[in-house]
Amino acid sequence: MPERIKHQPLDKGEVKPPQAEIHLIKDQCKGCGFCIQFCPKKVLEESQEINARGVHPPKIVDESKCIICSFCTAVCPDFAIFVTEKSREKDVK
Amino acid sequence: MAENKTQTPKESDGEVRIGVYVCHCGLNIAGSVDCEEVAKFAATLPHVVLAKDNRYTCSDQGQEQIKNDIKEHKLNRVVVASCSPRLHEPTFRKTCEEAGLNKYLFEMANIREHCSWVHLHDRKAATEKAKDLVKMAVAKAALLQPAEEIEVPIIRKALVIGGGVAGIQASLDLADTGYQVYLVEKEPSIGGMMARIDKTFPTMDCSICILAPKMSDVGHHPNIELLTNSEVTEVKGYIGNFRVKVLKKPRYVTKDCSACGECAKVCPIVAPNEFDVGLAIRHAIYTPFAQAVPSTYVIDMNLCLNKDGVIVCDKCMKACERQAIKFEMKPETVELEVGTIIVATGADVFDPSTLPHYGYGRYPNVITSLEFERLINAGGPSHGHLIRPSDMQIPKRVAFIQCVGSRSDRNGRLYCSNVCCMNTIKDSLLIKEHWPETEIYVFYVDIRAYGKGFEDLYKRARREDVKFIRGIPSEIIEDKRTRNLWLVGENTLQKELYKMNFDMVILSIGLEPRKDSEMIQRLLMLSRTQDGFFMEAHPKLRPVDAATGGIFFAGCAEAPKDIKDSVTQASAAAARAGILMAKGKVTVEAITPISYAEKCKACGLCTKVCPYNAITLDKELKRVSIIEAACGGCGTCAAECPFGALTQNHFTDEQILAQVDAVTEQEAEKKIVAFCCNWCAYAGADFAGVSRMQYPPNVRIIRTMCSGRVAPKFVERAFARGAAAVLVAGCHPGDCHYINANYHTQKRVEKLLKKMEQSGLNKERLQLLWASAAEGERFASKIREMQSIVEKVTREEIEKAKKVFEKALGGN
Repeated sequence: MPERIKHQPLDKGEVKPPQAEIHLIKDQCKGCGFCIQFCPKKVLEESQEINARGVHPPKIVDESKCIICSFCTAVCPDFAIFVTEKSREKDVK
Repeated sequence: MAENKTQTPKESDGEVRIGVYVCHCGLNIAGSVDCEEVAKFAATLPHVVLAKDNRYTCSDQGQEQIKNDIKEHKLNRVVVASCSPRLHEPTFRKTCEEAGLNKYLFEMANIREHCSWVHLHDRKAATEKAKDLVKMAVAKAALLQPAEEIEVPIIRKALVIGGGVAGIQASLDLADTGYQVYLVEKEPSIGGMMARIDKTFPTMDCSICILAPKMSDVGHHPNIELLTNSEVTEVKGYIGNFRVKVLKKPRYVTKDCSACGECAKVCPIVAPNEFDVGLAIRHAIYTPFAQAVPSTYVIDMNLCLNKDGVIVCDKCMKACERQAIKFEMKPETVELEVGTIIVATGADVFDPSTLPHYGYGRYPNVITSLEFERLINAGGPSHGHLIRPSDMQIPKRVAFIQCVGSRSDRNGRLYCSNVCCMNTIKDSLLIKEHWPETEIYVFYVDIRAYGKGFEDLYKRARREDVKFIRGIPSEIIEDKRTRNLWLVGENTLQKELYKMNFDMVILSIGLEPRKDSEMIQRLLMLSRTQDGFFMEAHPKLRPVDAATGGIFFAGCAEAPKDIKDSVTQASAAAARAGILMAKGKVTVEAITPISYAEKCKACGLCTKVCPYNAITLDKELKRVSIIEAACGGCGTCAAECPFGALTQNHFTDEQILAQVDAVTEQEAEKKIVAFCCNWCAYAGADFAGVSRMQYPPNVRIIRTMCSGRVAPKFVERAFARGAAAVLVAGCHPGDCHYINANYHTQKRVEKLLKKMEQSGLNKERLQLLWASAAEGERFASKIREMQSIVEKVTREEIEKAKKVFEKALGGN
């Protein structure tokens, strides 16, 4: 439908996307950069630090953008990244 | 299909025997033309074996006489000099047929509209002109050929483009009649605009409640194949035999979908829902609205994370119990064969952000009437609560501004959008129904409550204390703190300025042609009016037919209209399409081109100018073939062919040149040879006659179906034979009865003018006129204007022109 959209959705507050908690096991990372490259939401980028294997592991730019698709886990050759969902109750506290 | 038809031998091989009938038409003709003298003159013309004058040739006795004479005197051509062929040609053609004479052997001389009525006070000149007109008709009649009209079978299937209420109604009507219907809709669901509206005027019915049953009928009808998320990409063929390609975009969800909605719940992507004009959110996998047909969900691939076959996120797949999600679906092209097409593509709404003084898009509390519909709708984003977008509060003072984007060429479109006045009245009553305390002001230019029950609704709104103020605001100013809006303008009834404060302003936006109507226009070879809506074949008498055969209009595609009118037109279009399909065949008037294969150089110019793509070029065989059923009969191809390898049946080069020769035989230096197209200029000249507009009697009109038939050699021949001036007249550009054929007329006349200029001739002697059927005065004043040109032309100039165009005197 071709109309131009000028207003914000009124119910955007009602939609609560799941909140992610990204876990990086930095010293297992060999710096291939797959997770950074394949993340659909561009949540990760290369950090400046050097890990035990002498490479730059990824760092989290904006955890709130993560939609927990877990594709990073699927592509990581070294099992160095996984994502869990923060439960909402925890937020309330 | 007739390819490379060669000219058939002359009827009855041998002597041409013409009968001429000069009609008095009571005193309509006889009042200013000496009919007896005209008949006597006609008898002296070559091939004329019989010439009579009678009071009413079109009466039963008149027709009987023609029939008897055909048999008794073995007439094989008939000429009637009376009124316009646009009026009585069918009558006399039938008469001839009844007497066993082919109807294409009949010719008419228009001595009423084009002679007696426009020269009321000059009997001598009118009589002379009538003689000339008869002479022209006889000259053409001698060369007439019998012709058979071909019959084309019609495929008994229909295509409906657009699944709004008009498309739905047309599909259901055709399907109920028993025809197979393909309904193509661009969006994932049918329903169109009507599905988004809350209530309908004037009865205040719930819009989706009355539409949803029809939508589901479409979904379940055994005769309807519904193609949603699909677009027509190619249309080939002609009336009764269209071959259509439809691109079906993938939904990525199969028919197994039970519309449970579990997938949308887990989809992590959110975006504004277009169906709610962005006032509500949707996910990448979604259904536009609850009543959507088909109810199958659809994935918006622009948003989904899974691109190019890489499945990044599989949450919806995991949530779907029925495993209906298939990311590997590919777009497919479906080929359909249909006999008729109904165009129900609807309209867009005007974008008020182009009007900066209303601040739409900058001020959150200025909304459009379409957004209002979604807000007041119980199924909408606010669950039926009219709330201000800025603070989600229910407004106390609401203003409607009318004619936003309508009735102004400076701020939008020139036409009235028909629906906005009543829509606003309905909306104001809806607010009053829910929140009776709300103060409502409507700022208008004129309130147009013209339909059945409309005035009652308007009165009701006034009774319920909706205030109507004449004069739309010149500006909206926002109070930055409260987000309230100040409306400034002039109350034109009270002649005083107003400045009023409102919580919310609703812009009553107009309708405009679809952005993609140009594509549909190109695909189906349609024409559009200046407004941009599709043009019907005749505004009064063929209001749902397109100029192209077998195509019909329904709904807002043709002009802005309300639901009732859209449904009425849809049923009419279905009936019109049904007539064609019930008959199962269509006859094509035998005014199609004839090609002479031996002269054809296979240059392909004709295929380029044909507005109907009815000519195809076979490069290897070096010849063209003509699809007669697709041909509209304009003759532009014949005019374009530089080698004389094409001519038009019933308007052959020889016939038209014979008419030119007849005009220029005597006193050519005083005459104007006018070529007029049947639909506009000729009809305009008829109208000048009906209105008794007087103009100089020196013009002789030659009728062609389209001004595009006028080959340069006709004009050249007229000048070569010493004509004082030549007029080529047709429909206004864009209004051509044959889509765009008159653009070629313009091109050819400009070329001739250039040639005249280069040869040192007075360019004024060749004139081009665009005159519609209603512009009789335009035609008459052109002739008056040309009279002075004719008077100025000197002997030397005529001789010079004769020399320049001398080549045109040769054979055809």
